[in-house]
Amino acid sequence: MAAQLPDMTTTVPPPQPSLPSLVSSRRLKWRKAARALRLWVPAGILTLLLFLCFVWPYIYTIPPGNAGSILDSSLPPFSPGHWLGTDANGVDIFSMLVYGGQVSFEISLAVTAVGVIIGGTIGLAAGYFGGWTDSVLSRVIDVLIAFPALVLVLAIAEVLGPSELHLIWALSAFAIPAQARVFRGATMIARHAPYITAARLSGTGNWKIIFRHIMPNVIPGVVTFSLLGLGIIVILEGAVDFLGLGIQVPQPSWGEMIAKGQNVLIATPQYVLIPSLVLLILVMALNLLGDALRERWGVR
Amino acid sequence: MALAQQVQPQRDPGGRADLARRVAGSPALQLVARRLLTAIPVLLGVTFLTFVVMNILPGNPAQLILGINASPAAIHKLEVQLGLDHPFWDRYWLWLDGLLHGNLGIAYSNQQSVNSDIAQYLPVTCWLLLYALVGALAGGVIVAVLAARKPNGLFDRLSLAVSMIGLSFAPYTLAVCLGWLFAVKLGWFHIIDSSLGNNPFTAIKNLTLPAASIGFGLFSVYTRLLRADIVEQMEREDYIVTAKAKGVAQWRVLVVHATKNSLFTLITLVALNLGTLIGATAIIEPIFSLPGLGAELVNAININDLPLIEGIVVLFALVTVAGNLLADLLYTVLDPRIRYGRSAS
Repeated sequence: MAAQLPDMTTTVPPPQPSLPSLVSSRRLKWRKAARALRLWVPAGILTLLLFLCFVWPYIYTIPPGNAGSILDSSLPPFSPGHWLGTDANGVDIFSMLVYGGQVSFEISLAVTAVGVIIGGTIGLAAGYFGGWTDSVLSRVIDVLIAFPALVLVLAIAEVLGPSELHLIWALSAFAIPAQARVFRGATMIARHAPYITAARLSGTGNWKIIFRHIMPNVIPGVVTFSLLGLGIIVILEGAVDFLGLGIQVPQPSWGEMIAKGQNVLIATPQYVLIPSLVLLILVMALNLLGDALRERWGVR
Repeated sequence: MALAQQVQPQRDPGGRADLARRVAGSPALQLVARRLLTAIPVLLGVTFLTFVVMNILPGNPAQLILGINASPAAIHKLEVQLGLDHPFWDRYWLWLDGLLHGNLGIAYSNQQSVNSDIAQYLPVTCWLLLYALVGALAGGVIVAVLAARKPNGLFDRLSLAVSMIGLSFAPYTLAVCLGWLFAVKLGWFHIIDSSLGNNPFTAIKNLTLPAASIGFGLFSVYTRLLRADIVEQMEREDYIVTAKAKGVAQWRVLVVHATKNSLFTLITLVALNLGTLIGATAIIEPIFSLPGLGAELVNAININDLPLIEGIVVLFALVTVAGNLLADLLYTVLDPRIRYGRSAS
């Protein structure tokens, strides 16, 4: 039998007097609160936008986003029943924002998912196996990245024809190589860590090393990049709609709203300013959240 | 590396043979050569991808040119004339051959050579990009240095807020909003007539809003990057401590020592961002009705003018590849730590 162990419960050290802080406690508290705000304010804004786009239409009846009565045409903001006003065809602007926002969210989330799955696989393989695999895959990534994103997206959207699904594939041509690069970089750093060598020496299989040991190191970088990437995709998607090559007319989209409002900029600037502001808020919330998470997780 | 070590014992200082050997054995040059070689498959891939994307188009170009009412015989004749009856690889080879000889084919829409079309629209795009780039760089460097002077000071916070807004603004919303504010509300600029004219002053005035729409985002990226880099250097690097200990003036440490080193990173970012910059022209130029390559690309896409789309896309892509290559090379040549650190491994 083992020797009698000392009674662990009684060896708790007596509480030490706390060290005098170099920063006043009030200031420290303030700093902590600011740090929390930097994370939770953009997260709250994003949640609110998602709520307005996907839940609000089901709990509160809003006018249709693709048709309206000509009797209600060109109402100014804060009109009864149409609190952001209506456009020249009498379509409610708030409804257009909501339904257009649904499309924006759906497309950008789907594109990010495609980017993470396909680009992630390519990047992980390139970064983990190195050598020839890396050389070949990196060249493929280089080719895709070499294209100016908007030009490539426009060309593919044009070739495939306008539809939501085709837009997702076109935008993936931007997301896949970008994600692949992030995955590859993070994997290459993680691969040379001593614990990976240890895992390999102890006979752990490649799959298990990738999912158990490399993935946890890659995920923070991928999440923060994906948030910034979501912002870029929302902007790109809007650009394709703006040029009339994306979501087609009866279905509302923010880019199309801005493009149409541009023609009547002098008389009714709100048609441009309202969707522009919403787009700015969404992208800024994504960027701020990405920044806050990056700071918190120490990702470079 | 191996070569450099071999020649070292028998060097004759100042001799021409020695110089040649040192140049050939220079790790930086070897690295440059390797980078140039790896760019070749990328360039080939870019041309191939452009051609593939354009040639899986569902419609028949001959049909598109002649319209719905054209007779099958006429369509077939045009197909033969355009070389569309050849197999895919033959057509790619022909197009690549033309590309290598600087001949991009004939545009469908106006029956002119794509080269002359591009030559006609290129200058506006070049001036626009130059304006945006120089403005963004100058503004970015000045604001970043001022912000880094006192991290978390008032100016720093302000610049961070402004650059966050710039980072989140879509170029097209910015363009339309700037147009509304400065052209409609204040009446400083025209947005309808944006021809460059012969007067350089008019040209600069008409390019200001488009350049600002493209440049604001770039300015924000540059400011954020440069500020973070300078602040990090000021806090960490030994040579900063040395300079401060020697009694070098505060502003001199900031500008001459820290900023000079941070500029390397910035220059590479500028080259890397060339693709984004070019892509933005496709959407900014039509908004301000500027007769540039970007506007012409959108126009060509709308009328399905394949050779013109291919020509412009491949030109944009090649410039981007060249930019990436330049970034890589500058990074290795300018920063001695990287030059020797990487080539040793």
